[in-house]
Amino acid sequence: MQQAQSARSNETVMDKFVNGARRGFTVATVNMLPNVVMAFIIIQALNVSGLLPLIGQVFGPVMALWGLPGEAITVLVSAFMSIGGGVGAAAGLVGTRHLSFTDATILAPAIQLMGSLVQWVGRILGTAEVNSRYWPHCVVLAIINALLAMWVMRFLVALF
Amino acid sequence: MDKHQYEVGKEQTGWGAYAALVGGALFLSGIFSRRTDWLRFFDFTTLLGAHGRIPVEAARLTFRGTGGSGAREGFMFSLELMPAVMLALGVVGLIEGLGGLAAARKLLTPLLRPLLGIPGAAGLALITNLQSSDAGAGMTKELYQAGHITDNERTVFAMYQISGSGQITNYFGTGAALFAFYQLVPIIVPFLVIIAFKFFGANMIRLYIRVASQRGTAATRTSAAG
Repeated sequence: MQQAQSARSNETVMDKFVNGARRGFTVATVNMLPNVVMAFIIIQALNVSGLLPLIGQVFGPVMALWGLPGEAITVLVSAFMSIGGGVGAAAGLVGTRHLSFTDATILAPAIQLMGSLVQWVGRILGTAEVNSRYWPHCVVLAIINALLAMWVMRFLVALF
Repeated sequence: MDKHQYEVGKEQTGWGAYAALVGGALFLSGIFSRRTDWLRFFDFTTLLGAHGRIPVEAARLTFRGTGGSGAREGFMFSLELMPAVMLALGVVGLIEGLGGLAAARKLLTPLLRPLLGIPGAAGLALITNLQSSDAGAGMTKELYQAGHITDNERTVFAMYQISGSGQITNYFGTGAALFAFYQLVPIIVPFLVIIAFKFFGANMIRLYIRVASQRGTAATRTSAAG
């Protein structure tokens, strides 16, 4: 891969696309697929154990603030761990008909904005050596970003 | 690999680079997806095409079938999605290779001071964060060590990075799993919402740091006076 990158100047347009597509294949197989499979397994476990309806009931009133069913909380919690998990949970819940297409659309930016925070704390705040006094602020603000974005998306979905 | 990504900034930005950026943005935006004329070809969803259908009785299914669940369904779902991720990141690779990201950096650099309160030197790290969280964070550390940004500016910049990090890769890669559900908005809309909130979050912590430091200075003054 390094070789391919250092030879960038000699690349044809085709090469540029193919190298990007290769990266896409790696992202899809290495990052996305295992996370999505895990999310589907969790949704399956919650569904079979009867915990999912319970979660739906308990978090129903909270998620109703964004016009979403209570089960949507599992998407946000999974996203917090990994973006792939959040995306997988959303897709899985659409599959089990707990979420509508519109619900998934409203959740999409939130999954990214509070996505993988567990990993980013180390990989971004740690690597950049950000003043650790502000680490909690960064995490909380990222979650607030996600919650506000769901309202914006709800508005936009109604608008289009 | 990260070192090579830094080279984005050294590439020339001719008109071709801007054309690549604008063309790429239009291609990924989804605004041509509903056209019926020839322009329809210039769209992500159009070029993604469709999986073949397996006719079972009256239903028309892809190889994923219907009614799957658990790990198997998750695997098939991901498999069905892989062409989308490959096409999306292939196009991103093309935009980058033609200098599109360098053009984006040039356009954004003068805006960094008003938008985030950080110097234009951070432009490359800002664009890099859209692709790679780790490379962006590494460059942020170097910016501080080289004295280009202060400690507080680094915190503001890190806030921009941490919410919705690696967005080109994560939105057009993993996030592509949800594109099929966007019945009401074009693909580009949630992406723009994410980018807007990245700047919003950074400004919230910028404001917080300013207020907190003013309070801190006031407290020091009072205690000094007392």
